[in-house]
Amino acid sequence: MKLATFLKFTLPSAVTMAVLLALPLLMTIWLSVVNCSPVLELQKTEQTGPFGSHVVTAQRFKVDANGQALKSCQFVGFDFYKNILGIQSSSAAGPVDQKLPTDGHNEFLNALSFTLLYTAVTTPFILLIGLVLALVTQKISDRFKGLVISMALLPFIITPVVGALAIKWLFRDDGLVFNLLSHVGVQIYWMSEAWSAKLLVIFYGVWHVSPFAFIVLYAGLQGVPQDSIEAARLDGASKLQVLWFVTLPHLAPLTIFITLIHLMDSYRVFEPILVLTQGVFTTSVQFLTYSILLDESNPYKASAASVLTLVGIGFLLAPLLKRTWNEQRNSR
Amino acid sequence: MQRRKLIGFALPLVVNPAAFAASICRESKYRADVNIVANSFPVIQHLAKVAKSCASDSLKVNVKLTSKVQNEVEIAFSSSGKSPFDAAVVSASVFNDLYSKNQLYSLKGLVNKFKDHHKIEEKMIVRMNGEPMAIAFMQNTQVLYYRRDIFKRLGLSVPKTYDEMFATAAIIKKLDPAIANPIAQCFSKGWDLATEFTNVISSLGGRFFQEGTALPAFNSEQGVQAIELMRQMLPYMSPNALASNADDVMNQLQQGRAAMGVLWASRASRMDDPTASKVVGLIDFAPAPAARVGGGTAAHLWWDGVVMPRNGPNQRDATFAVLMEMLSESSVESGNDLAIWVRSNFKPGRASTGVKLAMEAGAKIWPAEPFFNLAHLQLGKVLADAVKGLRDPAQALAGAAEAYKQSAIEKSFLKRDLA
Repeated sequence: MKLATFLKFTLPSAVTMAVLLALPLLMTIWLSVVNCSPVLELQKTEQTGPFGSHVVTAQRFKVDANGQALKSCQFVGFDFYKNILGIQSSSAAGPVDQKLPTDGHNEFLNALSFTLLYTAVTTPFILLIGLVLALVTQKISDRFKGLVISMALLPFIITPVVGALAIKWLFRDDGLVFNLLSHVGVQIYWMSEAWSAKLLVIFYGVWHVSPFAFIVLYAGLQGVPQDSIEAARLDGASKLQVLWFVTLPHLAPLTIFITLIHLMDSYRVFEPILVLTQGVFTTSVQFLTYSILLDESNPYKASAASVLTLVGIGFLLAPLLKRTWNEQRNSR
Repeated sequence: MQRRKLIGFALPLVVNPAAFAASICRESKYRADVNIVANSFPVIQHLAKVAKSCASDSLKVNVKLTSKVQNEVEIAFSSSGKSPFDAAVVSASVFNDLYSKNQLYSLKGLVNKFKDHHKIEEKMIVRMNGEPMAIAFMQNTQVLYYRRDIFKRLGLSVPKTYDEMFATAAIIKKLDPAIANPIAQCFSKGWDLATEFTNVISSLGGRFFQEGTALPAFNSEQGVQAIELMRQMLPYMSPNALASNADDVMNQLQQGRAAMGVLWASRASRMDDPTASKVVGLIDFAPAPAARVGGGTAAHLWWDGVVMPRNGPNQRDATFAVLMEMLSESSVESGNDLAIWVRSNFKPGRASTGVKLAMEAGAKIWPAEPFFNLAHLQLGKVLADAVKGLRDPAQALAGAAEAYKQSAIEKSFLKRDLA
């Protein structure tokens, strides 16, 4: 292929990817190593309102002639990263020797450990449930397949916030599940202990994502060569052996695909933590980034948290990407 | 035909009484596209309806209702371009934050121009060093909700301190098997829990910051006492308490699963809503208990009001007209029971006594320091574990103080050598 033709084909996607992916990423990396803080002045203010008047002495942002807040920006290197990781304080904006909280509590490590737990537990379950659903659907009558597929896909179609709310209402005090379990003598207050709150978030993850695995594997099952299955049966293979030696190898690339997607998604787990448990006993790397960005209103530190998330995803995906890379190379 | 026209005219007024009030903002024939952002609770939903009643062929009105109003406002009002919102409905806490950032438009000119026209009362105007910066429309605080029938049946008196409240809860738990968890209170991790802590530490006489500085003082003996007091409450609450926000608490009280609890005064009228409550007319109100004998009520005074951004589009008159329509006498009249309004034509009902009770019991105004929200945020992160007993209270507070100092340094509220 001529270079000019090659460029004509690739340039639009290359430019789009540069603008939509590479540039924001570079900007995020840049934001994570700087800190802009406002220029303040001390002011005594008398506030008068519905409750009478009172005086507060506190800092107020200085503004320029156009009303824009004056800011002072400085390069802070990896200070925000160190701060998030609990290694040391940021000297970001006038550093102080930050001591770690005296009981060694570290927000990022807590978030990371639950994120990894969530990822590790949900991944095999969604693969297994997706496979079982796909195999069962394959076997049922064509007349009911449409209905079963639609119903099975429902949790995946519902937006995550709505899904998390629905689960919350089922499990909260006097919720349906709470009441049903109470009738058989089991009374679980799901948000009262760490294990139950974590279990609930993991349950939500499995419930929400299994349909995705199901539909992909079900599509994969349609492509399993029937002659191989028939040959195996003629050779006397049992159903389990056919599944193990013929069907599953055929589905292996799809399994890797589902795992890749779910690893990325689950590392960014957010909605169930925000809605379902409101962060009680559960937190995640993405939830932490959100909190830094919106609650602390610190886009610079949040950028550092985002980059750390990206690095984490990279580590998680590395073995699978390496395997895919090797397969592609060997197939040439 | 005439009957049809009459029905067509009358129906909107029946369905939405705010339609009565559409005249003031429409009479000037403004040409503008007014965008307002606000929180989403009943009284604000009412205000949004009134605002939309101003819409005409030339005046478009959009009200975005969101539970994340603080984040939306912070981003919009700090934008280097024009704010996508012409105005916002905010709480005192958000107002203090925006004012400290110099992001609010002075309402001096508009108030001078339209004060009489819109009958703006002096007590509605929030002035900073004499400059009108917001127009307040409602007051709020936390009060004790309690079941009059249960208290009467068991011969209990209304608790004035938290110790009395725990003793009362123990009696109810023992004598009334239907109420397994007598206390319902907003202990949800994060904002709710930090707000409860603020109320309790203040009632204990503790300080949040060292006098005249942004240095933390909440990591003190009173801070530890506040956590221990909150921990004592847990055995009388739903085991899910650390995930119970104001909606959950309201639900527990409405469904008769709790006998008492401190909750926002603005929710009081919902107790008598027959479509949602099983305890209509059975709940009475009292000041939130004090954290110690002789301490003030463990509650703070809040107001909500409307503000305009410094970087707002140039359609101030039209925006102000819509805002004042929202806060007009007719709006207060049609939404009388939805809030404790600041306007004089508000007719306080049984459920509107909260603010008066709290003021009489010594409630303080919610802290106005611009760095307060940073401390509040860090406390919200650690308190759940400390209250639950998973972290030592003193160590948790020390951790929150360190994290607060760090974020205060990053925002320039603290200098490293002083921290």
